Amino acid sequence: MTDKTIIRFQQVTKQYDNDPAVLDNVSFEIERGKFYTLLGPSGCGKTTILRLIAGFIEPSDGNIYFNGKKVNQLPANKRQVNTVFQDYALFPHLNVFENVAFGLRIKKMKSNIVEQKVKEALRFVNLEGYENREIREMSGGQRQRVAIARAIVNEPEVILLDEPLSALDLKLRTEMQYELRELQRNLGITFIFVTHDQEEALAMSDEIFVLNNGKIEQSGNPNDIYDEPINRFVADFIGESNIVSGTMLEDYVVKFTGKTFECVDGGFHPNEDVEIVIRPEDLEITKPQDGKLQVKVDSQLFRGVHYEISCYDNDGNEWLVHSTKKATVGENIGLHFESEAIHVMRYDETEEDFDKRLEAYEEGSHGN
Amino acid sequence: MGTKSRNYYLIPYVLWIALFVVAPILLVLYYSFFNIEGHFTLENYKKFFTPVYLKMTFSSFWYAFLITFFTFIIAYPTAYLLTKTKHKQLWLLLIIVPSWINLLLKAYAFIGIFGTYGAANKFLEAMGVGGKQILFTDFSFVFVSVYIFLPFMILPIFNALNDLNPSLIDASNDLGASPLTTFKRVIFPLTLDGVKAGCQIVFIPALSLFMLTRLIAGNRVITLGTAIEQHFLVTQDWGMGATIAVFLIIAMVIIMLLTGKRKSGMLR
Amino acid sequence: MNKKFKLSSIYLVAIFLILYAPIFYLVFYSFNSGGDMYGFEGFTLEWYKEIFQDTRLLIIVLNTIIVALLSAAISTLLGVAGALAIYYARKRQTKNALLSLNNVLIVSPDVIIGASFLIFFTMIGIKLGFISVLLAHIAFSVPIVVLMVLPKLEEMSTSMIYAALDLGASRFDVLTKVILPFITPGIFAGFFMALTYSLDDFAVTFFVTGNGFSTLSVEIYSLARQGVSLGINALSALLFLFTLLLVIGYYFITKKNDRPNRMGVRQ
Repeated sequence: MTDKTIIRFQQVTKQYDNDPAVLDNVSFEIERGKFYTLLGPSGCGKTTILRLIAGFIEPSDGNIYFNGKKVNQLPANKRQVNTVFQDYALFPHLNVFENVAFGLRIKKMKSNIVEQKVKEALRFVNLEGYENREIREMSGGQRQRVAIARAIVNEPEVILLDEPLSALDLKLRTEMQYELRELQRNLGITFIFVTHDQEEALAMSDEIFVLNNGKIEQSGNPNDIYDEPINRFVADFIGESNIVSGTMLEDYVVKFTGKTFECVDGGFHPNEDVEIVIRPEDLEITKPQDGKLQVKVDSQLFRGVHYEISCYDNDGNEWLVHSTKKATVGENIGLHFESEAIHVMRYDETEEDFDKRLEAYEEGSHGN
Repeated sequence: MGTKSRNYYLIPYVLWIALFVVAPILLVLYYSFFNIEGHFTLENYKKFFTPVYLKMTFSSFWYAFLITFFTFIIAYPTAYLLTKTKHKQLWLLLIIVPSWINLLLKAYAFIGIFGTYGAANKFLEAMGVGGKQILFTDFSFVFVSVYIFLPFMILPIFNALNDLNPSLIDASNDLGASPLTTFKRVIFPLTLDGVKAGCQIVFIPALSLFMLTRLIAGNRVITLGTAIEQHFLVTQDWGMGATIAVFLIIAMVIIMLLTGKRKSGMLR
Repeated sequence: MNKKFKLSSIYLVAIFLILYAPIFYLVFYSFNSGGDMYGFEGFTLEWYKEIFQDTRLLIIVLNTIIVALLSAAISTLLGVAGALAIYYARKRQTKNALLSLNNVLIVSPDVIIGASFLIFFTMIGIKLGFISVLLAHIAFSVPIVVLMVLPKLEEMSTSMIYAALDLGASRFDVLTKVILPFITPGIFAGFFMALTYSLDDFAVTFFVTGNGFSTLSVEIYSLARQGVSLGINALSALLFLFTLLLVIGYYFITKKNDRPNRMGVRQ
């Protein structure tokens, strides 16, 4: 733990009655001033983590530390954390100004200070001049901003955002992604963002925690997670992937679909069974004889920026290709890829072992 | 709520439930086992199954059925036509206003209208039929009851019709159904809940409103309600009154079960 | 099509006429100098003068209003607590059980409520009169208030309460600054309904009132049983006016509440 650490989860479990644990023995640290994203399918436990940090629920087991102090039982109204809710949870009986001022009024701040702070917060979210509007007069995007202003005006150390963009349409959502990222940089406070949208997570975060079934599958910066998914779930959930099983003959040599390829992964047992990931955009269409793989085009969809082409090899594996070039259905083609495009995953590897192996073989390759 | 907090609001509320909901009903049950001299007995229940009381119960149900039936026959078309009007909420409000006027005053008005020299008899004379005894007959009782219950039946049916998705009717027409078939196969089944609610709101009071029978029907009609009032306030035989009340409660529960679960009887 | 339209209009107009005729009949004869409801002899305000000079009647009116205001106020307090209790009940079964018990008095016929309260008050030794009538009115108004307030509470998103806590509000702050302002329209509607139920009640009051205490409904009943007297007509004309005012008031409350459909019918 460093002084940068602001929140620490130590083997936290959350369980309701005798149901299976929603959060199962989870440990992690959150550093000051970064943009974190909790990513996962619904029911993976991401919102539970948020509610534990906010103090709406208490852990069944384990400890939560905030600035080094244990806060397991500290009620929500005593925490230096504010939340932006999925449905915004604005108070319909108060206007924009009073909604934003709510937290300050609770603290019994002087009214001239309240006014100044609220105005500043509204300026931050580009809502100057909207002070006297009623909530029902505001559009979805504007409500979103009011909710953010209401959180930041209290100058919390951490802001929690519970799928705040899910109710917005696609265009507005993309716009707000930029704005949120910008806001976080300007304010310099920690944002913890919950979403099930992997593109959103990749676009905005410094760090991503990928969750599944109440456990953290993998954490890291967006590039690492995209390039080096730890297992099938992460590879599948983040971006699109071609996943086939193979055998690691020795370090840097892998065999799949009956062929042997060079790759850049190491640290395996000889002849270990593994899974191979190749991203669709790393596959390039060639003439059959020039390709490393020979496949037959099954169907294709035009996706705007690229064609999504589905092919099958002789073993029946599906290969998804993203290509700017059009293919012909039924045609036999070759697929080319660089050896760096092959990512090898071990079965049932924990994140800790995965990191260790990565470090070890990187050192090893340095030695070479 | 995640944090531990006692639900303190329960204290006054549960107290109210215990004192004014549970206790009174249990007391009614308790009293039904005592005769007029205060001895514990099953006499009252035996008495209830004698022809006098069974006949009274039967006729009470028969009148309640007639009242509910006629109210429904008049209310359904009214509700249906109301949904077709332009300012339907305003018209609905106008239908409801009479229901807010004290029932006794409406009953009193009919004492005047149905009286020997009242407007109804004048009308009959003018038509050449001649004067008739209208007040204190079972006809006047049913008529006034239907008059009083009409808004209560219209409201739930109106709401059901109003909630009906109009595209369902379009769909039915589109699939080749005639207006009558559409009504029989689509509209009526979908408004059945409203009809049930309306019947429930009418039938139970029709069994029990004693002031109407007293004012309008003289002593020609005796309902369960009249009998209860009679025993409690006139003959002071609380035991027998409580026994009839027990049967009225049972009837009420059966009707509620038959007409399905409703959130509330009178409020929407 | 046109003919059909006419037929349906005639039907509706007929229903309206029948619904309003008796009321206007009463009001019309309240100006009759003839002394009965059978022949209009001449215009007079005598009957209005008579009821305004009848101190006994005025005291009864005053009693009725006091009982209505007090019972509506107290039942609103209890009803709001009840609605909050149901809202906060954690288990589904508790919630349903409370709701069912709540609705017992709403679906029970008045005679049953009246008779059972009569037994209850006699058992615990409460003298029949002002207190027993007031208690009875409070008792039957509570579930109405609960039913008016509860939907408003359910409408409120739980994240709003979390948001308030998150912004540093204490439980008391949450109640006074978020929940109560949010459900205020429901509370007003509940108070209003309780008021009108109390003003209008006859059967329950008839059972639990003793000698010497009477409300307007009970008084009208005993007058009506003696036959026609145009004082009642004058009284009903005034009550009709009063009811209209109440309806208009309620209409505006619900209108403000965006729920014109919540209009209740009463017995």
